[in-house]
Amino acid sequence: MRSSKIIRTIAQKLFPFIVLFGFYLISHGHLSPGGGFQGGVVLGTAIILLALSHSIEQTEKKFKSRWLNMLEKLGILTLIFLGFLGIFLGYSFLSNFLPLGKPGQIASGGLMLFFNIAIGIKVAAGVSVIFYALVRYRGEI
Amino acid sequence: MFKEMKKVFFIIIILVMTILFILSVDIEYSNPKNLDVANYYIDQGLNDTGAINLVASIYLGYRAYDTLMETIVLFVAVAGVVFCLRGKR
Repeated sequence: MRSSKIIRTIAQKLFPFIVLFGFYLISHGHLSPGGGFQGGVVLGTAIILLALSHSIEQTEKKFKSRWLNMLEKLGILTLIFLGFLGIFLGYSFLSNFLPLGKPGQIASGGLMLFFNIAIGIKVAAGVSVIFYALVRYRGEI
Repeated sequence: MFKEMKKVFFIIIILVMTILFILSVDIEYSNPKNLDVANYYIDQGLNDTGAINLVASIYLGYRAYDTLMETIVLFVAVAGVVFCLRGKR
C-alpha cells in the first residue's frame, strides 16, 4: 500500500533533521543528556520513518541491508579494539588513554566520544536490521 | 514416602535460604557509612573522567565493562531476531 503524498513529502523533509538530532545526541553524550544508545535509536528511527512512508524496496536501495549488517559488527569490533588499545598502551582494559581537555568542551571526555560514536553506529544499524528482518520475513508494509 | 519427604525437605531448604538472603542483603542506605561509593562518584567524577554528564562518566568511565556487555546483549538480540524470523531455508 502506498502512503499519501503529504506523508511522503513531510517524511522526506523531516529525515535530515532527525539524522542531525541523532548525531547531536551521540556526539554530545558526555556533555548533555543523551549518549550512544539513545542517539543510535533516533538514527534508526529515521530509517524506519523512510521505510514506512516510502516503500521498503526504495529504502533498501539507499540503505542496503548488507552494509547495515557490516556496520553493526564494525561498531562492536571498534569498541573492543579501543578497549584492547588501552592494554597495549599501558593502561587497563577500556580505560581512557587520551588527555582530558577542559570540562565542557567536546574533546573533554577523552575516549568517551569514540565509545559513544561506536555504540551509536552499532545501535542504529541494529535497530534498522531488526526492522528489515521483521518486514521481509513477516508480512509487508 | 521417600519422594514426599524429599520434596518437603527441598521446600524447607529454599525457604531458609531465601530468609538468609533477605537478611544478608538488608543494607541501610540511610546510613552515611554505606554511601562511600556514591559520594566518591559525585565528588571525583569530573576529575577522573573529564565529563560533565555524571551519568556518562559512570557508564563509560567507571563501568565501561557494563556498557560493553550491554552492547553485546543487543548484538545477540539482533542475531537472534534475524535467525528466528528467517526460518528454515
